[in-house]
Amino acid sequence: MLTMVPEFTREIGIPRVAAIEYPFGRPVGHVNDVEGQRAVLLAALDVLDTADRPGQVRHLPFTWTEDPKETDWQPPEPSPIIKMMFKKE
Amino acid sequence: MENETKIVDGFKFMPRSLRAFVGKTIPEAEFSGHIPWTPMKRPVREATVALLTSAGISMKTQAAFDMEREKKEPLWGDPSFRMIPRDARSGEINMNHLHVNTRFAKEDINVMLPIHRLAEFEAEGIIGRLAPSHYSIYGYQIDPTALMSETLPAIAEQMRTEGVDAALLTPT
Repeated sequence: MLTMVPEFTREIGIPRVAAIEYPFGRPVGHVNDVEGQRAVLLAALDVLDTADRPGQVRHLPFTWTEDPKETDWQPPEPSPIIKMMFKKE
Repeated sequence: MENETKIVDGFKFMPRSLRAFVGKTIPEAEFSGHIPWTPMKRPVREATVALLTSAGISMKTQAAFDMEREKKEPLWGDPSFRMIPRDARSGEINMNHLHVNTRFAKEDINVMLPIHRLAEFEAEGIIGRLAPSHYSIYGYQIDPTALMSETLPAIAEQMRTEGVDAALLTPT
């Protein structure tokens, strides 16, 4: 699994994990960045060849090029669950 | 590869309020249950690889994941799956997801379901074979019962039929 939140996956017991610090909705990389996407995928596939026991997490060394506030990963409007929670408050 | 000792911060892209909320839901203790383990039968360069994402991707020719019911029932998420053929083009896919911005994967399917990159890897001998079919589920499952009991076994069965050795999961 190529995960953006290893803190989550650590809690549910995933056999092989590659963790990446990329924004939600784009775990493999930027739109049309063929070379960047390839590098991430090669690193993720390498875990399949080299992991020797369940539960290991490989932290991939890639860094997203934009500031978190500029990534625009959130949906255009709040999700139904968020709307529901705000209504209750 | 600028920093070999990087530790990924899964909260980096979350606004402070979401970070606090999500942080509270994660237990402090390390996972201590059983973790399944299937040894690789062959190296990646000989293996058949399939992709599975939770992005809510469907072909435009298929029924879309159901967003309308979730809007009415915010604790419900569509537990079904769609099969995406390996030669699907970005213009042929749809993405429905109420918890992330869908515009990036609609523009380039590879940011979520990297079928074209893996087809290149197949041609270059980096993987043995790219499976004919790939899969999308929808990554909002407060109650995962139907996903676990019906959807994932059906996906696993299809993967077995297509001789898949390894699956790469890309959560949203």
